[in-house]
Amino acid sequence: MFLGLDVGGTFTDGVAVSAGKIISTVKTPTTHNNLLECILRAIDKVVLDTGNKNFERIALSTTIVTNALVEDKIDKVGLCIMPGPGMNIKDALPKEPYIVSGYIDHRGHEVARPTEEEVMSACRHFSSCDIFAISGKFAVRNPSYESMIADWIRKKVKPSHISLGARVSGSLNFLRRTNSAYYNGAVWRHFNQFATAVEDALLSRGIFGPVYVLKADGGTLPLAVAREFPVEAIFTGPAASVLGIMSLHPTRSPAVSLDIGGTTTDIALWQKGTPIFAEQGAKVAGYATSVRGFRLKSIGIGGDSFVRWEKNALKVGPMRYGPAMAVGGSKPTITDAMIASGLIEFGDKELALNAMKELALEGQTPYEVANMALDEAVTCIYQAVMSLLAEQEAEPVYRVEDIVQGRRINIEQILGVGGGATGLIPLVAKKMGLSYQLPDHGMVANAIGAAVARPTLDLTLRADTVKGFYTVAELGIKNRLPKSRFSLEDASLLAEQHLAELAKVTGIFLGETELIQAEEFNVIRGFNTVGKIITCRLQVKPGVLLPSKEVF
Amino acid sequence: MASQKLGLVFFPAFDWAISPAHPEREERLLYTRDQIVEEGLLDMPCIREYKPQIAQYKDLERVHIGVPDLSSLITDAHLVSAGGAIAAADAVMRREVDRAFALVRPPGHHAMRVVHGTRGFCTINIEAIMVEYLRKNYGIGKVAIVDTDVHHGDGTQDVFYHDPNTLFISFHQDGRTLYPGTGFTNEMGSPNAIGTTLNIPLPPGTTDAGLHEVLDHLILPVLNDFKPDIIINSAGQDNHYSDPLANMAITAQGYARLADKLKADIAVLEGGYSIENALPYVNVGIILAMARMDYSKVIEPDIATCPVQSSAVTRSISAIIKERQNMWATKEKLQQEAIAKAGDFWQRGRNIYYDDAGIDERQKEVVRLCPHCSGYVTIETEAYGMFGYKSAYIATIPNQACPTCQKAAYDAVYKAKKQGKQQLYFVQNKMEDRLEIL
Ligand SMILES: [Zn+2]
Ligand SMILES: [Zn+2]
Repeated sequence: MFLGLDVGGTFTDGVAVSAGKIISTVKTPTTHNNLLECILRAIDKVVLDTGNKNFERIALSTTIVTNALVEDKIDKVGLCIMPGPGMNIKDALPKEPYIVSGYIDHRGHEVARPTEEEVMSACRHFSSCDIFAISGKFAVRNPSYESMIADWIRKKVKPSHISLGARVSGSLNFLRRTNSAYYNGAVWRHFNQFATAVEDALLSRGIFGPVYVLKADGGTLPLAVAREFPVEAIFTGPAASVLGIMSLHPTRSPAVSLDIGGTTTDIALWQKGTPIFAEQGAKVAGYATSVRGFRLKSIGIGGDSFVRWEKNALKVGPMRYGPAMAVGGSKPTITDAMIASGLIEFGDKELALNAMKELALEGQTPYEVANMALDEAVTCIYQAVMSLLAEQEAEPVYRVEDIVQGRRINIEQILGVGGGATGLIPLVAKKMGLSYQLPDHGMVANAIGAAVARPTLDLTLRADTVKGFYTVAELGIKNRLPKSRFSLEDASLLAEQHLAELAKVTGIFLGETELIQAEEFNVIRGFNTVGKIITCRLQVKPGVLLPSKEVF
Repeated sequence: MASQKLGLVFFPAFDWAISPAHPEREERLLYTRDQIVEEGLLDMPCIREYKPQIAQYKDLERVHIGVPDLSSLITDAHLVSAGGAIAAADAVMRREVDRAFALVRPPGHHAMRVVHGTRGFCTINIEAIMVEYLRKNYGIGKVAIVDTDVHHGDGTQDVFYHDPNTLFISFHQDGRTLYPGTGFTNEMGSPNAIGTTLNIPLPPGTTDAGLHEVLDHLILPVLNDFKPDIIINSAGQDNHYSDPLANMAITAQGYARLADKLKADIAVLEGGYSIENALPYVNVGIILAMARMDYSKVIEPDIATCPVQSSAVTRSISAIIKERQNMWATKEKLQQEAIAKAGDFWQRGRNIYYDDAGIDERQKEVVRLCPHCSGYVTIETEAYGMFGYKSAYIATIPNQACPTCQKAAYDAVYKAKKQGKQQLYFVQNKMEDRLEIL
């Protein structure tokens, strides 16, 4: 039996999935000042409901990292960077760094070596810090300097934790890796305290099962790994819902999914049965990081969105002032409009009609004003979908073929989940001229997503056959190439081996892998090809798993 | 409202090469891509990345006449790189950004008006196409193009040689020592446009110091005097000390300071073949300077290998600056003399060599020295190209041509067709924005 939990802004949802069937769902208010409380309440309810205390897996999607940042429960981090030549990065970081002199160039060549002395003086500079983050430009091409500095710091001050940029992400983008490493260190202690509390509480209740934490890219991490990379556990809510949709309604055709909640609608794009990833990492507290996620757009339209007149126009959201008037709220909402127009049955219809009467102009029936409000909400959602599609299409590409062929997605259907979906999705579908699906259990899609999200991992292998070495930054390795004639095929096989190794270390089942990036360039001296530069990025295919059968 | 924003069209064309070991090959911008992405430049709030468009043949035909036709001479990559320049222009003209850099390939500044094939790695002239696009779509009048590639921008010079509204300034390694072997001081434009072609041949071994002398005392004052509506930079990077194709000694700092002072509205990448040691740093330097960011930390790892400028080089740079200042100051007089000498028509015959394609073109060009407009141009061209012997007779009607020149251009082509010496007959009618095949 799989247990999935999603701690949302308003509610914490839980589900138990067994043999591909949902056998228990719970909903309990989120206790923001102590997340453990609502998590345990949800778990207790599932245990009570199913009579089961042994789970194959307990997966959490939580706001713990986000909360730590918002509530400033973060640690001081001694941030050491090796920027080498280039942009002056100092002012673009969330914290004043200590600049160390050594650097690696774009080929992974060690151009200038940092000295132990300057690292010692960095330690003195950060004498009040117990946590460090180290990030070097092009460390993903050669992680040795980052590791060397970490060793020196460990020897000198024995800190509780050191985050390394190239371990946090194997992709190019020094700025993002530096920010990621910094935030990873900053939330490390808070997250680890939470992880320990969860483990202790489960143990004391006699509940067994390995605990996993959801990532923004829809993968899950064993708690032990998440303890080292807590920044990966940020922004998991929308990812949970996207994965839930994946398991509730598998589809191969290009689609858009809309998770219409109380305050917001989260929009995702789908192609070939999987959600489309964002090319860029997420922003944390306004700073670009390397945390990978789905291409999502969130707009302030939901069931509880406030409806009012503004300068002769009927406006919807993004503010919300509590629930619909039909269930005792004080201000007209979109849910009231849906009830009044007969789209859904919920709460007291009389109260919903009153809400619309409040809004109606002279000569306007409550029904008419309800439809106007719904029209406005649908138009907002429609425009957001269009702009997300446009963003996807405008994403830069670097090959002639990709430009000429374009990357237009012709959406064929709409998938709707969340509390507001039943009423609004048919209207959005009508406006877009598309068919729609409202999968069962759509109200707890997020928790289902957490329950069945497949663990993922990815790594980038870069081989330079001229220099005769390859690196896998995520593993912190730089090795000699195993053979002289090394091809892209060899590279992807080698990547496969290392991914298996990484999977083993992290306790993840490898499953199906896919190449998400493959580049091969000749290196020419004079008029002779002297070697190749090969980059391949391999990942465990993201997706959903069910106890007895795989959906995909 | 734009706020010190740079639009960046980055298109490395990773699937396009002239041939596998050619300098213009797939990985030319690979290390530049690595550096730009690794720096995190595309995340900077003052830099906005744009995708190239695909240029239309209509855009190309405002500049070029392909013999036998453009479509059989170019690849999709050319349409995308011209479209990259156009996307940069659109971003600036729509005021989404303050300025833009089209960091694209393949390059274009050796491509002339008539195209029989590829020369100097160029088949179509992406800056020229962009300039005519700006004129057509945004009504831009006076344009200044500053070509900072180490090679003389002979293609751009050719396209605008008779156009007094386009100031073409090119500094380059002296043509006696480098391809394409042109760009001397006596190439000043045809009589109606004298002075608006300004060549500055520099001695091999010129460093940042020499280059900035030229910039401060010649290029910037001339621009100030010409008062263009827009400044375009043909941003070649092969003046770098590590470039394998030339012998100059400019650094990334030298290029970045150049971009900083020039304040071009749009820069378009041209050459630059030190793909590992120069391009990553030069491009980052130019991007930072154009985005008004701190570029002082962009230093090549091997900067110690950059030579110093000899005193002989310094002296010869001073001399060329002086001579060019004089020319600019007296260009009205030079023009009157040239017009008086030429009479009603000015003409020249040339051989144009296409090094990449091994084609020798013979061309005769005649310009009417019209007192009312810049005058129509006729071109007779013949070459043994990839499609065998091809010849054409072309008339070009400039923007704002007078009615007499418009009619005379057509008459000239009809007359040539009647004589039947060529295989193809074209009128490039800029006023009506079309290329007619007669
Ligand atoms: Zn060049
Ligand atoms: Zn005329």
